[in-house]
Amino acid sequence: MFLQQVVNGLSVGSVYALIASGYSLIYSLLGFSNWAHGDIAMVGAYIALIAQTSGHVPFWLAVVLAIAGAGCVSMLSDMVAYRRIRNNHSPKMFLMIAAMGLSITLQNLIMVTVGPRFRTYGDVIPVRSIRLGGISLGVLDLLTMGIIVVALVALGLLIGRTKFGLGVRAASSNMVTASVLGVDVNLYIRLVFLLAGVFAGMAGVLLGLKYNIYPTMGSIALKAFIACVVGGLGSVPGAILGGVTIGVMEALVGGFISSGLRDAFTFALLIAILLVRPSGLLGKNIVDKA
Amino acid sequence: MCRKGIVCLSRLTCLLLIVCLVAVSVSGCKKSATVEPIKIGFIGDLTGDTAIWGQAGSKAGQMTTDEINAAGGILGRQIQFIPMDGRGQAVDSVNAFNSLVDQGVLCVIGTNFSSCNKAIAPIACQKKIPLLGTTCTNDAVTVDQATGLVYPYSFRIGYTDEFQAQVLGKYAATELKAKTFASFLDMTQDFAQTETTWFNKAFVANGGKMVGTVSGRSGDNDFRTQLTKLAAMKPDVILLPWFYKDVALIANQAKELGMKIPFMGPDSWDSPELMGLAGPALEGSYYCSQPAFARPETKPFHDAYVAKWGTEPEAESLAVHDGLYWVKDACERAGKVDPVALRDALESTVNFQGLMGPITVDIKTHNPSKEASLFHITGSERVFVGDFKP
Repeated sequence: MFLQQVVNGLSVGSVYALIASGYSLIYSLLGFSNWAHGDIAMVGAYIALIAQTSGHVPFWLAVVLAIAGAGCVSMLSDMVAYRRIRNNHSPKMFLMIAAMGLSITLQNLIMVTVGPRFRTYGDVIPVRSIRLGGISLGVLDLLTMGIIVVALVALGLLIGRTKFGLGVRAASSNMVTASVLGVDVNLYIRLVFLLAGVFAGMAGVLLGLKYNIYPTMGSIALKAFIACVVGGLGSVPGAILGGVTIGVMEALVGGFISSGLRDAFTFALLIAILLVRPSGLLGKNIVDKA
Repeated sequence: MCRKGIVCLSRLTCLLLIVCLVAVSVSGCKKSATVEPIKIGFIGDLTGDTAIWGQAGSKAGQMTTDEINAAGGILGRQIQFIPMDGRGQAVDSVNAFNSLVDQGVLCVIGTNFSSCNKAIAPIACQKKIPLLGTTCTNDAVTVDQATGLVYPYSFRIGYTDEFQAQVLGKYAATELKAKTFASFLDMTQDFAQTETTWFNKAFVANGGKMVGTVSGRSGDNDFRTQLTKLAAMKPDVILLPWFYKDVALIANQAKELGMKIPFMGPDSWDSPELMGLAGPALEGSYYCSQPAFARPETKPFHDAYVAKWGTEPEAESLAVHDGLYWVKDACERAGKVDPVALRDALESTVNFQGLMGPITVDIKTHNPSKEASLFHITGSERVFVGDFKP
């Protein structure tokens, strides 16, 4: 049972990690928590659903459309909701409040246009599992974990090894200096929103496949946010570590202590990290956590 | 003098004008009072996670209102149906109730959530406006748990948790020959605990045994941790008192883990959507529901609903339909349209014939005596087993 619970935890944790990495990207650059990130994932899930049910396109194409669509919505959200606040040099808190507003707007938009019903993608990937020495591995889980690992490795390479990544790192370390040295900061911000949106879109479709599709499904981003804080806000590897840690911890606490106390443990861990190591497991020293 | 006179005159004119206006508006009010429609409020979750029920209730209410109005209304007066969003949350539902009372409603139908109605019931008594809960099933909806006395203004259309859990528990032990059961509770819902308690009582009374409980939270989405634990307990049946969207997730994840233990659930499973979300994963499971569309007399309503709205109705739709006709019946028995007279008439209801079955109100608890319908899920279809009493 222990191994099975670890597998359960890894499967949930990998989804947290995927969403948390998008959170972290935006935090590292702009220093605010984008509360609408989970809702962008939700929009991605719905784009795939609509493409599949109304557009009758094959599922792989629906996924591509969802990822592209979520990226565009994310980039648009920056242009509509955040850019003005940023250019006015308003407090970071304003950005966070704008993000909350955007989150409610997106949820209600979907509720009014598509409806509140719980939906699924149907039998795209049938519910099946492989038994391996007493442990049951869901086919969908293996697929999800595989995709997530590939996506996260690609993200690591993109940030660490390319000119684009260098620009992002420069802008996140000091935006003014970077722009003085000739980095087009606004362009980079837009691209990072696009990238975060692409990750959100991917997460949305995977969530829809694993669970259901509904307008408030983005609320899972709260756990991803905790994962970010635990791993260190603004650090992408930290977000991944935090996501997996929380997923496995939840499974073990749920399995061996009490499933009712699971969330209490998660939040206790959050408080402990904030008290003992406020910058998180792998975080930089951050003063203003808005 | 002249100037002063003009001022006086203009003041006088103003005063006269005001008096005239007041007189006109008062007489206007009096006149229109006799033809003004009777306002009946409805509270449901119109926009939240469970909007499927709120909207099904609201649509049925509008349809039934048109039907009653076309047949002459209540005591010769037309009725006006006013739906309000309670978002499935206690605070929002109380706000909706207060706002409806301010609009001068005769009574309020809804909600389908015990947590909401428990919050509204004391306020309904304070404001003396009858509240008719639809499918909210907790005892505390109609009876003040602190004093054990009934809330005079709180009623319900459906049955209680205690009742349906006993039906399920007895059926599991006697018909399914189950020896052991475990319960998977939704810790955010009162009914999960109540139903586990009463299922256990009926199950033990018929020779069964409980082997354990696990709990989770609606909205968590991933329940494999708890399911792994449940599988290790090896029960014959698992009681699953959750809302249908979580039931779908839990059943699919149980199948993924290779579990083959049948689930049993209360009326919170009841939605035509459930089969689409998790039909194959629920093979062999049972649930019980308010007597609804398995009853032949509901067919005309069902067909009219589908024709008008283009979607399948929910049991909640029938509850709202019955609620409106119950109010009509009570007003006609009282001979007048007045919240206090309506309350008295509702309380003395004997054998009111609704589409969900007859309602006779127990004066001590305001619970209607009725039966529960049991369904078996086989081949991704819901098969009606029969109506049961514990």
